[in-house]
Amino acid sequence: MDDPNHADELVPAGLRALGIEADEIELAVMSAAKELFWPPLLELLEIDLAGVDPEPNADLSRPPERV
Amino acid sequence: MSALDLSLRGQAAAIAAGEADPAELLEEALGRIEARNPALNAVVASFPERSREMLAAAPPGPLHGVPVVFKDEWPLPWRAQRFGAAEMLAPSAPGESGPYRALRDAGAVIVGVGNMHELGAGSTGNVSVYGPARNPWDTERCPGGSSSGPAAAVAGGLVAGAVGSDGVGSIRFPAAYCGLTGLKPTFGRLPMAGHHMADTSTTIVSGPLCADAADARLLGSALAGESWEAGEPRRPRIGIVRGEVSEDVAPAVGAACEEAIEALRAETGGEVREIELADLGPATMATVLIANVEGLGNVTPAKLNALDPELSPIARGVLKFRSLLPAAAGVKSYAMRTLMRRRLAELFAEVDLIAWPTVPAVAPPLQAPLIELPSGTVTADSGNVRGAALANLTGIPAISVPGGLSEGLPIGRQLQAAWGRDELLLDAAEALERATDRRWVEARPSLAATEPAQA
Repeated sequence: MDDPNHADELVPAGLRALGIEADEIELAVMSAAKELFWPPLLELLEIDLAGVDPEPNADLSRPPERV
Repeated sequence: MSALDLSLRGQAAAIAAGEADPAELLEEALGRIEARNPALNAVVASFPERSREMLAAAPPGPLHGVPVVFKDEWPLPWRAQRFGAAEMLAPSAPGESGPYRALRDAGAVIVGVGNMHELGAGSTGNVSVYGPARNPWDTERCPGGSSSGPAAAVAGGLVAGAVGSDGVGSIRFPAAYCGLTGLKPTFGRLPMAGHHMADTSTTIVSGPLCADAADARLLGSALAGESWEAGEPRRPRIGIVRGEVSEDVAPAVGAACEEAIEALRAETGGEVREIELADLGPATMATVLIANVEGLGNVTPAKLNALDPELSPIARGVLKFRSLLPAAAGVKSYAMRTLMRRRLAELFAEVDLIAWPTVPAVAPPLQAPLIELPSGTVTADSGNVRGAALANLTGIPAISVPGGLSEGLPIGRQLQAAWGRDELLLDAAEALERATDRRWVEARPSLAATEPAQA
């Protein structure tokens, strides 16, 4: 099926834009990585985290200062 | 029985009591590495003269004269770290690191560098510039990663304790696959100085891999330069989470974890509560993103175009793929961290422990690290990360403890606690060992066939 968002072009187009070269094996690895990463990445991007600003200088050895 | 087959604390006590000669123990450890390591590839560098010098200079301390293995993730004064890779994309030179100094000051003797998954980028340990480390329970199976060599060295009886690191489960995965106790401490509690990402990573910690919780307590104490006292978990409230992390697992793993929770409850007089912890999937992705982008400061397109051809194709592809990750997802990941930290802070007012399987299935084959789950066949990496990421994202401590055998391979069970409650995890792990008559911590692979380690 055609991908209307050209998602299949993300890896080669992104590499070209950044000036990063890749051989066929590396492209295959990146294609597999995209298959694995992209659905949960899109799920993460879909979450509305308004009001949940990252803790400035979070001390990860302790609970958050504000709960 | 050789003193080398004593537990870590047993070796330390025997030396302190004059019942074991540390020089003989060191030679036994070096001999054991020579004899067993060809089958395991757990130790990628040994240096007998350096080890003898370390013993000669060893101060009195809690680990005086005790041999240990050290992951290839930190430098030693006589050896640069290689990170399991042909090229690190980060500076690497011999030197003193925080974990090295802690071990040296405790009197321990480093007898070898432990293999690791290339660049720390895998949960299986089947890819390394040194070749894969092998699981002592079945040398055709993955030992777990990325602390593959430290775990295989302990499970194979080369040493009784090893230092690993955990950025996204890298102590707990090999602990589970090799039938060990592995502690991912609270973020920042154990030394990281000398690690090439010590100043940039917000997920990686150092930690102990040992046969049981008492040994992990001793090695963790030595690394921390503190005394982690043993105690009794007082009627702990044990939280369980329904959903993918506890239910999309191999049936034997799920059953073992449920048995463990009930055994721990019965042993301690605690209670089990079902709790809600939403968004674990996005939280896992956030952890993976943070762990992947925090090391990018050293990376340039020019460096990526000149990668060492000896790097595996997977590493080359993944290193390049990281540069394509959208910045918006990175920013969102840090907000996700805040959200999950707030949720955990609220949850830890209701429960003391959160329990679920460390990994969803036992160690897969080295040649094809795939696992069968109720939802289908997935790569071990994608299944494993689900249960491990939360602790790295939020900074809380977590421990993997042995919990049975399936197909002759170990099952790992995980407990997590609030920030700074590392000792509670060790106490709970010891209670669990008592509840199961220590049969899972005393189980040994045939490759390391000796009597169970004696305390």
